[in-house]
Amino acid sequence: MSELRFDGRVAIVTGAGNGLGRSHALLLASRGCKVVVNDLGGGHTGGGKSSEAADRVVAEIKAAGGDAVANYDSVEDGASIVKSATDAFGRLDIVINNAGILRDVSFQKMSEQDWELIYRVHVLGAFRVSHAAWNLMREQGYGRIIMTASAAGIYGNFGQANYSMAKLGVVGFASTLAIEGAKKNVRVNTVAPIAGSRMTETVLPKNLLDALKPEYVSPLVAYLCHESCEETGGLFEVGGGVMNKLRWERTAGKNFPVGKPLSIEQVQASFKQIGDFSKSTHPTTIQDSLESVLDNVNKPSKGGNEFIDVDAALGYEFPPRHSEYSQRDVSLYALGVGAGRDPMDTKDLPLVYEGASEGFRPLPTMTAAIAVGEIMKAAMEGMQAPGMNYGLDRILHGEQYTKVLRPLPPSAKLEHRAKVKDIWDKGKGAVVVTELKTYDQKGTLLAVNEVSTFVRGAGGWGGERGPNTDVAIPERAPDAVIEEKTDPGQALLYRLSGDINPLHADPEFAQNFGFKQPILHGLCTFGFATRHVVKAMANNDPRLLSSVRVRFADPVIPGETLVTEIWKNADGTAVFRVKAKERDKVVLTNAVAEFHKEVPKDEQPAPAATQAAPSAAAPSGPMRPTEAIFAGINDYLAENPDVAKKVGKSFLFKLTGPDSVWTMDLKSEGKCSAGAKGAADCTLELTDDDWVAMASGKADPMQLYTTKKLKISGDIMASQKLNFLKKIDPSKVAKYLGGSASAPAATPAATSAPTTGGSSWPSGLAADVFIGIDDYISKHPELVGKVGKKFLFALTGPDASFVIDLKTAPGGASVGVASDADCTLTMSTDDWLAMASGKADPMQLFTTQKLKISGDLMASQKLNFLKKIDQAAAMEAIARVRGGGASAAPAASAGPSPSSKVLDALVARLTQNPALGAELGAPVLVKVTDGEKLSFVVDDKGAHKGEGSAKTTVSLSEEALVELAKGSDVKSLFQHGQIRVDGDVGPAHKLGIFKGLLA
Amino acid sequence: MGRRVNVIGVGMTKFAKPGASPDYHEMASEAAKLALADSGVDYGDIEQAYAGYVFGDSTCGQRAVYEVGLTGIPVFNVNNNCSTGSTALYLARQAIEGGMAECVLVLGFEKMEKGALSLKYTDRANPLDQHVGTMNRAQGVNSAPFAAQMFGGAGREYRWRYNTKRETFAKVSEKARAHAANNPFALFNNRLSVEEIMASEEVFDPLTRYQCCPPTCGAAAAVLCSDEYAKRKGISNAVYIAAQSMTTDYKSSFEDSMIKMVGFDMAASAAKKVYEKAGVGPEDVNVVELHDCFTANEILTYEALGLCKEGEAEKFIWEGANTYGGKVVTNPSGGLLSKGHPLGATGLAQCTELVWQLRGTADKRQVQGAKVALQHNLGLGGACVVTMYRRD
Repeated sequence: MSELRFDGRVAIVTGAGNGLGRSHALLLASRGCKVVVNDLGGGHTGGGKSSEAADRVVAEIKAAGGDAVANYDSVEDGASIVKSATDAFGRLDIVINNAGILRDVSFQKMSEQDWELIYRVHVLGAFRVSHAAWNLMREQGYGRIIMTASAAGIYGNFGQANYSMAKLGVVGFASTLAIEGAKKNVRVNTVAPIAGSRMTETVLPKNLLDALKPEYVSPLVAYLCHESCEETGGLFEVGGGVMNKLRWERTAGKNFPVGKPLSIEQVQASFKQIGDFSKSTHPTTIQDSLESVLDNVNKPSKGGNEFIDVDAALGYEFPPRHSEYSQRDVSLYALGVGAGRDPMDTKDLPLVYEGASEGFRPLPTMTAAIAVGEIMKAAMEGMQAPGMNYGLDRILHGEQYTKVLRPLPPSAKLEHRAKVKDIWDKGKGAVVVTELKTYDQKGTLLAVNEVSTFVRGAGGWGGERGPNTDVAIPERAPDAVIEEKTDPGQALLYRLSGDINPLHADPEFAQNFGFKQPILHGLCTFGFATRHVVKAMANNDPRLLSSVRVRFADPVIPGETLVTEIWKNADGTAVFRVKAKERDKVVLTNAVAEFHKEVPKDEQPAPAATQAAPSAAAPSGPMRPTEAIFAGINDYLAENPDVAKKVGKSFLFKLTGPDSVWTMDLKSEGKCSAGAKGAADCTLELTDDDWVAMASGKADPMQLYTTKKLKISGDIMASQKLNFLKKIDPSKVAKYLGGSASAPAATPAATSAPTTGGSSWPSGLAADVFIGIDDYISKHPELVGKVGKKFLFALTGPDASFVIDLKTAPGGASVGVASDADCTLTMSTDDWLAMASGKADPMQLFTTQKLKISGDLMASQKLNFLKKIDQAAAMEAIARVRGGGASAAPAASAGPSPSSKVLDALVARLTQNPALGAELGAPVLVKVTDGEKLSFVVDDKGAHKGEGSAKTTVSLSEEALVELAKGSDVKSLFQHGQIRVDGDVGPAHKLGIFKGLLA
Repeated sequence: MGRRVNVIGVGMTKFAKPGASPDYHEMASEAAKLALADSGVDYGDIEQAYAGYVFGDSTCGQRAVYEVGLTGIPVFNVNNNCSTGSTALYLARQAIEGGMAECVLVLGFEKMEKGALSLKYTDRANPLDQHVGTMNRAQGVNSAPFAAQMFGGAGREYRWRYNTKRETFAKVSEKARAHAANNPFALFNNRLSVEEIMASEEVFDPLTRYQCCPPTCGAAAAVLCSDEYAKRKGISNAVYIAAQSMTTDYKSSFEDSMIKMVGFDMAASAAKKVYEKAGVGPEDVNVVELHDCFTANEILTYEALGLCKEGEAEKFIWEGANTYGGKVVTNPSGGLLSKGHPLGATGLAQCTELVWQLRGTADKRQVQGAKVALQHNLGLGGACVVTMYRRD
């Protein structure tokens, strides 16, 4: 470890007559620093004045062979102290604000003078000295400032209110100076020392004071002042041989929604969380500090109250749920809602009898029963949307909307995806609309149910009321009226279809809720009524029902007679209303049903090879390219779960020739599957071939789009998020294609690389270069952290592939392939050699398409370090690996260098034809910037080595000189920057005299 | 022949480096308020506003104008690369000259990021791809900032053609810094010597760092009106636009010359049209604000505008013909090199300087007896606007 010196530096140490300041001054001076020893010579409480203390320290420094001057000014006269430094030594590099006094007194007895005096010495003094020094330091682009704080300021100390204020004041002062000085290399740090000094001898016991020598503090101060130290804005506790750094720690805290009133009680309720350090951060800048605030402010609240937090709940998607039903379930449901009462009524038979001649026709309202059943099951499993803080006692099923897209199959396996679709503020209460989409096994959407729940007492936050769902009843007699008595046991039958709430079965339970007896399920009434409407409107064919919406007005008692009044509208819809006949009470209202014009056709069968979606499992046999691609994408998505989150959209791919339909659901499932699953945000239509080309990076989606080969509908912007496809390593797809299929582009030839390490290098110059790189990386392990990427080089002619790994420590270069490379560079071996030797610019190779880069394009820019590789070091490494340089080393072949050859030929040419030199018009100095760095002058006397005076200097690389000698156009070389001309450009025009010097 | 268009009010903010300025709408409204105050016109009289900026989402112009007033007037957002400001001016001038408006506000502003210009959208055709292609054929492409490669390449071509010393380029920057030292609105107020300029880091031979304009934040504005309006309001001695012309790339831009690719022919042609229309030639111009985004372009522009003969810029520069005491004072404001170059604001900052010069209120920068002023504002991509101002 070499000694840290301060030769040539000038420091001011304030309060350097005794204690810490003296120790700082002596230490710096002993290391060659010139010191201004400032001390007012007063007592430690600020009284008196004398030159003695400072003079004594100066004498000590001089006696030890150092250089110092004394200054007796108060720190409040900072400019004079700084002037002492510049007068005596001509510059100023270091300011140590150390001077201080104490006026300890408990706060109740503290006078304003006690406060003021402490402020003036510690804070104003530090300001005055630092301020006078500041511009000098900025202008010279160098400065080190130390503030002296104290544990008393950081933590508080009895009797030191004034001192605590001042000491923490300088910490804040230093924090900002550190920022303002950063660009000009002015670094500012603060120490909070504990040491035995005049100031502490009144506070600390004697034996402790002895252990706390100032000499345990000064080395940290001196290091922070050294030019090699880049620390700035730091705060350190130091003393008694212990040094610590301090930082701020901040709790994760509590974010209250902006836009809602904030109460004291909320603060009280969250106070523990506000102070919880279990998930803390350490902000270091004001930007860090503000970040969380800005994040919070940028998400204004949608409202809510203690029952419903709209921000948390709205849009929440429940985890998908699965269920199945059999023919028996279908029949049971239909019986539950009153179908098949008359065994001779054959029109009801298809609803309840799987052997009916028309076929089995499940009632579509069954999906509502299933949906509500699933919601209830989820609730019973404790799965509730976040932000919903109310019990079941508050809720009522307010409205039901059921939309059926296609006839229900006689039996099915279903998937349900539910989300909180809307939350409306109805004043006293709130309405929560839960949407539940039901899909079949193939991913075809069968039905959408919206369950509107009225939550009593949960409204009133000033939110939107939501749409009006009132339905006007025409002012005429109904077009059809169907009357049907329910069975006294109706609820006991209906509950077997899923809603097992005891309210509908247990008399005691019902009485607790204020009902005389168990009531009928609202959805059972709904089922009855819808069946009536289907009978009146669609000849009892439930497949024609498209949607139905109702509002529940009053419960029905099992055994009551339901009267459904139906009004047919001109557009084929029906408005209806249901009354309980015995009580003449409306029980279902605002009801409307819509119908299909014809029975919707079932979805086309999904493509053949798609019984199950391609999964990450090992391929069982070669797949079609499209299948392989989706399987590869699934593997990629499984490994990179963030991707789906970032994209957050679902895509439907409709491919043609051969036709297939695929869903890429990056919204909820995060994977691809065959067939259409749900409503996609964005639909892409293109040929199978174009899709394969696009997915393998051979076709540009934008281009396909502009040439109309790709049609995008829906959310077009979402399609841009498919960019991630480019990042997928082709090998992911290749593994599903099997051996015979042609793997996509970036699979280089030499795949069977030996993996035994250094001895496995193949012969050849290209490998030599990688040996050099490997050597360089081993000497610069920091590159792994800096670059953090893995590169695959696929070289052609001769083919070979190499990997530069700067991702996983220790990093290195090796022969072989890497399927997890971030960036793949494909180029000819020749171009690689030119690039590695600096003769070819990677950018230029890239723009001329000689270098192809796939994957992370930006990562390739991080290969700049290749330029820094020292050729000599690389040679050594190659010699080491090759065992004594058996292999041909790149440039060091025997014989004269190309530059020398050119010069020799030029000398010969000019000797034969002296007039050529005169053609230049004036002497030209040619400087070759690499190789053996040859310089020569060309003039009317010929060409000769050396650096004679010339008004024109031409600088160029050996490569450019060779180009010139081989006949490249001078102007073009100049314009390309390969020839640099200083001074008079004119003579350079005539460098054509070099033409033909090399064949 | 249309109506005369007067420039009755101008104003600008002090130009600042990225990160050190207020937000765009604050800068722009400050400049607009200064120009309105300068003109004495009440904002209620403004019939239309033309707002130029390059970087920002749509309708930043409205956001800026709304700081001044909410009178429901048409606001046009103008984007034309580095010539954005003067393109806005051009549209405003047309509106008045053609009798479509009496009094309009033009403002230009830019909040720039640190570092060299680069493409914001990489998923679509680069509007400069033909320019880049031309450059690639002439000199290849390297990793220097693309604008420096283009104008630096033109500088190389110029040096080769006319045997120009490298120092001549630095000399232009020395002059720009000297002029800016007297301009309180300029980003840089410190002088630099040729040696210091030459010694700064090389960006693209022959350009060094101090020969490239810095990314800048700032705004400038002008109020334009018809003669009729001026008369009605009792405004006299106004500066007016004697002629204005705008050109875009010709076929020659995409042939084999870097000089032409960066807009020499656009500038020469626009200047010719202006001189013809005004009936005043380059020899009568007293003061010029021209587009010195790089020193190389100032040199080219002397010749394109006819301030000196082709190939004689070096002589023109070393004789001091381009500064106080010389033939014509070029960029008294310090130009883009020293005053700074907030893309959208530059055209209007040039206008502001020239109006001050013609009014004789340019303080230490005053070009004595300035009667004819010329403005040249160029954007790659491309557009060139040349404007001649005179006063009664």
